[in-house]
Amino acid sequence: MTTATNFLAFLGLVSTLLIVWRQSWPGRRQLFVVQSLLLAALAATMAVYANRHELLLVAAVVVLLKAVLIPRILGRLAAGMPARPVTPGRSAGMSLLVAGGLIVAAYVIMLPVTAVSELPTEGGIPLAFAMVLIGLFVTVTGRDALGHVLGFLMFENGIFALALLATYGLPGLVEAGVFLDVLVIVLLMEGFVLQIRREHDSIAVDRLRELRG
Amino acid sequence: MSLLILLGAPLGAAGLLALVRGAPARAAHLTVTAITAAAAGAVALRVIQAGSVTALGGLLRADGLSAWMIVLIALVSGLAASEPPPSVRAVPARRFYPLFHLFVFTMLLAVGTDDVGLMWVAVEGTTLASVFLVNLERSRASLEAAYKYLLICSVGVAIAFIGTVLVYFADIHQLGDEAHALRWTTLVRLAPGLPARVVELGFVFLLVGYGTKAGLAPMHTWLPDAHSEAPAPVSALMSGVLLSVGVYALLRFKTVVDQAAGPEFTQRLLLALGLLSIAIAAAFLWASTNYKRMLAYSSIEHIGVVCLGLGFGGLVGIGGALLHVANHALAKSVLFLLSGRIRAAYGSADIAGVTGLLGAMPVTGGLFLLAMLALMGLPPFGLFVSEVLIFSAGFQSGHWAIAAASLLLLVGAFAGLLRSAHRMLYGAAAPTVVDVPGLRSAVPAGVALLLLTLTGIAWPPGLAAALDHIARLLGP
Repeated sequence: MTTATNFLAFLGLVSTLLIVWRQSWPGRRQLFVVQSLLLAALAATMAVYANRHELLLVAAVVVLLKAVLIPRILGRLAAGMPARPVTPGRSAGMSLLVAGGLIVAAYVIMLPVTAVSELPTEGGIPLAFAMVLIGLFVTVTGRDALGHVLGFLMFENGIFALALLATYGLPGLVEAGVFLDVLVIVLLMEGFVLQIRREHDSIAVDRLRELRG
Repeated sequence: MSLLILLGAPLGAAGLLALVRGAPARAAHLTVTAITAAAAGAVALRVIQAGSVTALGGLLRADGLSAWMIVLIALVSGLAASEPPPSVRAVPARRFYPLFHLFVFTMLLAVGTDDVGLMWVAVEGTTLASVFLVNLERSRASLEAAYKYLLICSVGVAIAFIGTVLVYFADIHQLGDEAHALRWTTLVRLAPGLPARVVELGFVFLLVGYGTKAGLAPMHTWLPDAHSEAPAPVSALMSGVLLSVGVYALLRFKTVVDQAAGPEFTQRLLLALGLLSIAIAAAFLWASTNYKRMLAYSSIEHIGVVCLGLGFGGLVGIGGALLHVANHALAKSVLFLLSGRIRAAYGSADIAGVTGLLGAMPVTGGLFLLAMLALMGLPPFGLFVSEVLIFSAGFQSGHWAIAAASLLLLVGAFAGLLRSAHRMLYGAAAPTVVDVPGLRSAVPAGVALLLLTLTGIAWPPGLAAALDHIARLLGP
């Protein structure tokens, strides 16, 4: 089990780094689907090895929600947009360097947790937390609404992986609330992006400059 | 039972009011608000008698702290409902009413559940329910405010989720699996044995996460936008009680962390963020040009003061902080409601665009003046007393430097508020500006000011005992 979960968490982190590296929007969206499928596989693996059958249900919901439904909404959002950002991006190398630093930071920050943990999944915990930090980084540095949404979803995926590895998933009620929450946020974001596009003819958030002081 | 009605009424109303329109909708809106308030009163009475109320097998639970928040939420939502709904650009009221009650429901659920996981879901729900209300005008500015609000608060509250996961990890590490491992009552019971380092790390995430929701600097950047762009009744709810719901969530975890790792850790963090919030708010209060933004920055200042009270600790500090939450809720919601009327009359939210308020709108202007004096912390109003309690706790606990520095900053904030209020209240107004007719519209604000005077000079019997009881509940 340890090998399997470590490997899947590692692949999840790799998919995160690939999203940071890719510039084209359809590519990033596909990588997000891959990342979500990896997480579903992680949940399914733990369901089998740790005898937690409710995690199979969680895995199914992840596939449905994050590999089918949300990517479809993301596709709708980007309809008619150029595949690459209009303004040339900051170099992917710089972002990857920051991401590398965040991985180290993740190991340091999670030290108190890994120190007391006796779980077979503990090796994946810093990797999952690195996904969280990198997702946060993508959200904060996103220059358009699409970047924000994608960053937030990566961030959320990382938290999901962290919760899975550290606690074998939260109680059902909370888990359901989290899934509903992600879906509503993405739908609300879609509404906002459409309205921003109507008002500003662009989804670059640096046009949002009304409120100051 | 009362707890179920308390949560069921606004939730049911949210569904029902989506179907009803026109005058019946307004009537139903007021009725449901009254039912919610009555249920809140009933819950509070039961808590006073029995110590706590539970429902749904302990999933819903109200103790003294919950009851305190429930009563405040009911009070402020009553005030907010007494104000006619916003009618800008023919906003469909059928969208306003259901979301209003959904928003109230999520806040009540956050403070009325024993499960910290469900509390997280409810706090996140407050953002989702109110974000549409912020963007009700659908102008460029309100769109930007709502977008920022959704993004920053969703990320913030997700960070609080990491903290919740870490506390849960520590909990099941200690106890093995248990059905109620995320219940606050379980956490408090197990707290002394939890691994201190993990719980401390969890609290840092919780502080950043719920601190975002509470409007603590430096995570406050969404707040002035959202609070100033939302329609007046929504601003009143957001500034009056939503921020305190964030503080409430922190308090629940603070109790657990304090028992696991000693109180110094959380106190130091709360003092640092409290002081920073006051400093940033004071700076912006000096430079404010828009009176709704000014009120929003003043909320950051007061949440900072509340955090100082919690950080100074002790029965006086925590009791003072709780009282300050209530006083601020009353004063700030009145001010936001009045600012909605002022904006409608003058057609401007700029301080420079409003002159001669006292002359042109004597009732609204008079109430605005009184509520501003209360907000600045002048006697005979309650904020004076709660600030005195908080700072005396600071000096008693030996935090001389922090207490003195924040007092100086408060004087700066006071002067900034006074300057702006002076500009708005006096001078000559355009003859087109007329007051809201009749004295009836002054009743809700008048009642709130009366309550503030009570907490200022004549504590109702039982208030001191209640504050003491809640503070003991939280303190080690």
